[in-house]
Amino acid sequence: MKKRNSETLFNLSGARKESESPQSTAPLLEIDGVSFGYDGHPLLYDIHMRVNAGEMVGLLGPNGSGKTTLLRLISGVLHPQQGRMLLQGRDLQAWGRRGIARRIAVVPQELHVPFAFTVEEMVNLGRTPFIGLLGSRSKQDANIVQEAMQSTEITPLARRIFNELSGGERQRVVIAMALAQQPSLLLLDEPTSHLDIKYQIEILELVQQLNHRLGVTVIAAMHDLNLAARYFPRLLLFQRGIIADDSPAEVLDPQLLRRVYGVNVQVGILRGATHLSVLPPGEEEQEIEREKRSRPRVHLMAGGGSGELLMRALADAHIPFTAGALNIGDSDHALATRLAGEVITEQPYAPISTAALEQVRASLTRASLLVLCPMPVGPGNLALLQEAASAAKRGVAVLMFAPAGTASQAATEESQTAEGTLLQRTGIAMRDYTKGEGLKLVQEMLQAGARVVDSVGEAIQIAKQYS
Amino acid sequence: MKIAAPKPQLKQLQGSVRAFPAPLLLLLLGVVLLFVILLGISFGSTSIPIGTIVEVLLNGTRLFHFAQPWYPTGVIVWQVRMPGVCGAVLVGAALGVAGVLFQGMLRNPLADPFLIGTSSGAALGASIAFVLPLDTIFGSFFPLTPLFAFVGAMLTVLLVYAIARVGSYTPVVTLLLAGVVINAVLVAFQTLILELSPHAAFGIQALFNWLSGGIAVYSWSPVLIVGVIIVTGLLCSLLLANALDAFGLGEESAANLGLHVERYKFIIIIVGSLLTAAAVSISGLIGFVGLVTPHAMRMLLGPRHRLLLPASALGGAIFLTLADLLARVIVAPAVLPVGIFTALVGAPFFLLLLRNNKREYRW
Repeated sequence: MKKRNSETLFNLSGARKESESPQSTAPLLEIDGVSFGYDGHPLLYDIHMRVNAGEMVGLLGPNGSGKTTLLRLISGVLHPQQGRMLLQGRDLQAWGRRGIARRIAVVPQELHVPFAFTVEEMVNLGRTPFIGLLGSRSKQDANIVQEAMQSTEITPLARRIFNELSGGERQRVVIAMALAQQPSLLLLDEPTSHLDIKYQIEILELVQQLNHRLGVTVIAAMHDLNLAARYFPRLLLFQRGIIADDSPAEVLDPQLLRRVYGVNVQVGILRGATHLSVLPPGEEEQEIEREKRSRPRVHLMAGGGSGELLMRALADAHIPFTAGALNIGDSDHALATRLAGEVITEQPYAPISTAALEQVRASLTRASLLVLCPMPVGPGNLALLQEAASAAKRGVAVLMFAPAGTASQAATEESQTAEGTLLQRTGIAMRDYTKGEGLKLVQEMLQAGARVVDSVGEAIQIAKQYS
Repeated sequence: MKIAAPKPQLKQLQGSVRAFPAPLLLLLLGVVLLFVILLGISFGSTSIPIGTIVEVLLNGTRLFHFAQPWYPTGVIVWQVRMPGVCGAVLVGAALGVAGVLFQGMLRNPLADPFLIGTSSGAALGASIAFVLPLDTIFGSFFPLTPLFAFVGAMLTVLLVYAIARVGSYTPVVTLLLAGVVINAVLVAFQTLILELSPHAAFGIQALFNWLSGGIAVYSWSPVLIVGVIIVTGLLCSLLLANALDAFGLGEESAANLGLHVERYKFIIIIVGSLLTAAAVSISGLIGFVGLVTPHAMRMLLGPRHRLLLPASALGGAIFLTLADLLARVIVAPAVLPVGIFTALVGAPFFLLLLRNNKREYRW
């Protein structure tokens, strides 16, 4: 795997070279069901993503959403606790540290160097993965270093001390160092967060140029939504899992941003501009927002993927709904964040807390219809069913969604009463892990007049009447 | 803002020094070291002219045949002064390089070779040797004190490393903390041993001298044994130059440049401690060489370890040979502990560097 005998610097580097090999069908990077947490505190859930050679991807998400962690997983510094990561079709760790460093380069937020390296010495360090213990840098290495400095326009700074440069110049040097690694994939962790606006634009222009001209694939964590919209054709919105993965026009949806960042924004194209801008809303806008938010009359309880069908159907039918409480990391939570008007959120893997329950209660007092999806019932979310049962007794209409196949077949002999058949149709016996308590609550709701439907169409018909 | 005025000048000066070709600087350091060695042999209770020393040394090669000087001179040069001066050269080189290794790995310019337990381990080993009623092990030619000091230092470093290890990582902070704690515990043990030992009264003055540092070498055999260890360590450290450069960017960036960070950390600690322990075993605790030398060399040559390591070996050797010379000459025929001079010369020099060069010490 020697790449040093390339005549020109980047034409033969990583991505291009690999594309001629039989592995060309494999994407540059494939992340498949990766989960990760620090010290038992889960942080990333079930990440799936594919990045093809030549793409430029921006990672968005509030602080602590796991952007940096994902970058560290991709750079191989952290190892996923679940799932697998493939680089050019081969397991990431199988490349070895050096192998990874020859393909992936990382530009951190800010690099602190306690010693007075000159710019040229710094860029030279980028050749580290290509030289042996004793091996000194060859003429080839020197050429690559010079080219990397030219690409980033720092040749005039070559003899300056790195620590004495401005923030923007320093970041250029670090990018040049990364380029000297001849990477197929360049990872940037909020590369502009410590810079003035002038340098922010300069650095991103540079990264874009490298992407266009040299074909370097770029994945960058970004904190500035406007800059992300301007420079990245593909954006990934993050909240411990991937909430959205699409073009800026799709991802920068005010509703979505409000739910992920917890702040109202408006998105539009400014006069004279060509790209989307994210702005704080005017006051009228906030008024409308508030009105919209009070509108949903349907509340949905789900979990473990049981809500997917119905939530999509409700959204397609333009029926506004609230959802929850859902645990962060649950696939239903990710989907609800995109589709529901309001999502009551609980910490990952945690039982539903009293605070969340109060929110559920508040939501149920506003709602006229409660939709129960066929989620498993355990000690953690039994309280949700209790809320549902008391709402049912208060007169909130309850709709139990139980698609065919979820109902138990074995229970046919149980009782032949109408209510017994209904209970059987809910399939609760199969997914009750609370020794009958869940079953009892479902029974109570049925007694209070809850309806059981097994088709999405029927459920939507009923929901329309209430919304 | 008056103070700030001379600064640009200094920067320019430094720039021009950096522009000075590195091989020439290394050569210059080598020449200075040779001169200092001759000076070290020359001075003493009886001074020997440098010309005579050169003749004696060249006669030793058996290629030259200068007229023999009168009888004791040859013996003094070969059997008395040379082992001591060679010891000083070896110890100085070892401490200088160990300083570079630890400062580079910990990314902390305040690190010195004694930081993670070598000093207290060696001191405890030496104390045990002093209170034992033996001089050598079964009459072997190697005295007990250096052996115990060496073993004590190495065991302590391994203990500190084992304690600092968290899972498969050894965070720098836990490494430093474990070093501080183990240092304190071992010093307590050392005091306890000296308090309780019936032999302590005899040994304590000797122990004090040992702890203050002094090149206590009066024959070739310890120099040869320690020399083999130190030269091996110096050669190994040269192999670590590229890794140390990458460590300067931080551990994560080093990993992103393809380094097995934890593996290298362990190797650097072992090589650095081996050098320190070997040095300590014949010299006692000599401070400041490992701290000051890397700084001075970094100012001359920049932080690239490929140059910094050999330069620090030469620089440390020059520094310690000179200090040893002063220790022997100032109140001759009495010999003062070398540690006094390394501190007296090293500390002001270090402070001067710190004042003129504050910008370098960002961590």
